[in-house]
Amino acid sequence: MRGYAAGQLVQLVVVVIGISMLAFAILYVVGDPVLLLLPQNAGKEEFERYRRLLGLDQPLYVQYWKFASRAVRGDFGNSWYGDVPAFGLVLQRMPPTIYLTLAGLGVALLIALPLGILAALQRHSFVDNLCTALAVAGQAMPIFWLGIMLIIVFAVRLKALPASGYGTWQHFVMPAFTLGAFLAPITMRLVRAGVIEVMNMEYIKTARAKGVGERMVVIKHAFRNACIPVITVLGLQFGQLLGGAIVTETVFAWPGVATLTVESIRNQDFPVVQAAVVLLALIIVVVNLCVDLLVGFIDPRIRVRA
Amino acid sequence: MSRSRLAMLLLLALVLALPDAPAAQTKDDTVVYAFQSDVDSWDPPNSVLREAIILGYQVFDHLAVRDLKTGRVGPNLATSWRALDETTWEVKLRKGVRFHDGYPFTAAAVKATFDRVLDPKNKLTARGNHAKIKSVEIVDDSTVRFKTDGPYPLFVERLTAQVMQSDKVIKEKGHQWMQENPIGTGPYKLVRWNRKQEHLLVRNDDYWGAKPAFKYVRVRIIPETATQIAELISGGVDVIKAVPPDQMDVIDKSGQARTSTSPILRTAMLQLDQAARSGPNPFTDRRVRQAANMAVDMDAIIKYVLNGLGDRVATGVNPMAFGFDPSLKPYKPDLAAAKKLLAAAGYPNGFEVRFRTGLAIVEPGVQQTNDAIVADLAKAGIVAKQNLMGDVGPYVAQVKEGKAGPMFNWSWGYYSVFDADAILYDVFKCGESYSYYCNKELDDLIQAGRSTLDPKKRTEIYVKAQRLLFDDAAYIYKWGLRGVWGISNRVEYAAPRDEIDRMFIVTPRRK
Repeated sequence: MRGYAAGQLVQLVVVVIGISMLAFAILYVVGDPVLLLLPQNAGKEEFERYRRLLGLDQPLYVQYWKFASRAVRGDFGNSWYGDVPAFGLVLQRMPPTIYLTLAGLGVALLIALPLGILAALQRHSFVDNLCTALAVAGQAMPIFWLGIMLIIVFAVRLKALPASGYGTWQHFVMPAFTLGAFLAPITMRLVRAGVIEVMNMEYIKTARAKGVGERMVVIKHAFRNACIPVITVLGLQFGQLLGGAIVTETVFAWPGVATLTVESIRNQDFPVVQAAVVLLALIIVVVNLCVDLLVGFIDPRIRVRA
Repeated sequence: MSRSRLAMLLLLALVLALPDAPAAQTKDDTVVYAFQSDVDSWDPPNSVLREAIILGYQVFDHLAVRDLKTGRVGPNLATSWRALDETTWEVKLRKGVRFHDGYPFTAAAVKATFDRVLDPKNKLTARGNHAKIKSVEIVDDSTVRFKTDGPYPLFVERLTAQVMQSDKVIKEKGHQWMQENPIGTGPYKLVRWNRKQEHLLVRNDDYWGAKPAFKYVRVRIIPETATQIAELISGGVDVIKAVPPDQMDVIDKSGQARTSTSPILRTAMLQLDQAARSGPNPFTDRRVRQAANMAVDMDAIIKYVLNGLGDRVATGVNPMAFGFDPSLKPYKPDLAAAKKLLAAAGYPNGFEVRFRTGLAIVEPGVQQTNDAIVADLAKAGIVAKQNLMGDVGPYVAQVKEGKAGPMFNWSWGYYSVFDADAILYDVFKCGESYSYYCNKELDDLIQAGRSTLDPKKRTEIYVKAQRLLFDDAAYIYKWGLRGVWGISNRVEYAAPRDEIDRMFIVTPRRK
């Protein structure tokens, strides 16, 4: 197990270095930030002065080295707009995004687990077909559209929930459902496939032969084994979930790190975008590492093989 | 500890970390206003954002303000002003005004405010607005004198763009503190700022002017336009701005809210490269430019494509700007005359030209109006090939560097200065970054308009300049833009012509 974890850690470091390079490089492709920072009537010397001030006049490798050596200490410089530390700004906006992502994950599991198991147990029945249809519809529905539809129905027509904002449990309902609906279909299909596969295994027959009740067979023997691919995919989907959070946060005016990132990209506020990209990527990498370790913990075969 | 208990504890920790419920203010005493994006600081001179200017108006006061009905600049914290000579302005200040912290507003505050802004070391954005001011002198507690670098006719106009900050705060608290703690003399005080989420303001009950009707103002940050409209219709927000023209019906038919439009200080045009900055092109010939202006039926486009959201102009000068000549009538569509002019210029069969276009960020419906204009031009034989550039930064850079080509979309917001000079100098003067026009005669007029304080003389000069620009058809002239606001039926309010929303004039609607 120790060797397995160490191998995963080395991979993590390589990935993080790659991410930092990408985060550094991407924004240089976009355009000249000085043009956007200064008013339209600024003179040529003003531009040159700003370029020097921000270190944009130096060679790229020097800029990257400076960026990377400061970034490991959590210092991405100050936001070019707010004049406050970029990393602090990103950290500050982290909790709402984490709540939203967890709530979305919760909703997705609440939908996906029971429906997936049900569909698997009653294969090719009406319930199964209905679940398939729901999954296809859910997968095809743009998250943006669903969010706005929910707002129109529950906020504008029924006036049951606040259309947007953050602060009370009512504010959580629509965003969490929107994000959950985004993740639920694929999870449900996986649970279904996993349970179907496991139900045909010899050990299930053994369990049944031993006289174990059908409920116990499904929950204890089948579900635990069917969980492994589901957990792996959920880990992989975590990045997707954060991506979905960007859209969800924008629609519902959710004050999270995703809205901050989108706004910073629009403003070409380099330090904030870089801090956010690196932090989010780091979270995704760590979540995936945890998933790998968790799967290894649940399924001894994996860590032995590694 | 069992695994399930650990999970329960984690869940509990998360629940406890959830944010507090909002403050105990009720819906009836609160007006809610929405922004698409948040400000970067609460120090208006240190921001390039219009949102910062708008927030500044709620909490700070200016020496002079624009009257929304007449459009004229009138007294505010200054009670009067006069020019002592060509380069000295004397300003009398209102007495008995106090900042939110109780400290009195005097000439010292005016001097400290301008000294802070004008000092290049402080790197404040607002410095450019006041660069013509050389120094500020205190005469007595309620009188200040401004020395300017040459005659400065825009002096009073520019007073509306500078909030008055406290000399005590500037000296004792300093720049960093001021970024999040606005101490003004204005109608509202800041209670709380949750970045990217909302601002809560409370009425300043010691305000020297008319008391606002609503005790609280909530400014909510809602990035998505569709969500803003949903909030407006469902009663979550009272005032939104920048409503897209195609969404006006949704709001007007909701029964919960209405739209209000106002002309704003921005004129749209198609710039032609008369100065040949991007190289030789047909538009260096005046007859071709005139033909282009006659080929397009702008009035029809405003009416049918823009839903009436435009005010036709004869030149680039906006009807709201000082010096505008209302007697000058725009070009009338005349296809036969246009063809004749083109033939005379050596293009009997017309010509093909690249037309650089941009996104509808500042100009609503620009793609649709471009299509209509291109269709009209084609009838006269001018085949404009549209070439979209989807990013504003590079677009502006190209224009600036003289690489935008023979014909391109452009609109001008006057830096919010209601004066003909604010467009003539930047967009029509020879050699300026955004000007693709070069005419010595016009340059002399622009210079003359800048060198006198006499409004009558200046008006005469600008009337001449507009005639010249019309006759010479510098660019294809389009229209002055209109902004669209969405307003809840719960409140009385109307779109402001300077695009600065003032929540302190919003009142509850009588039922």
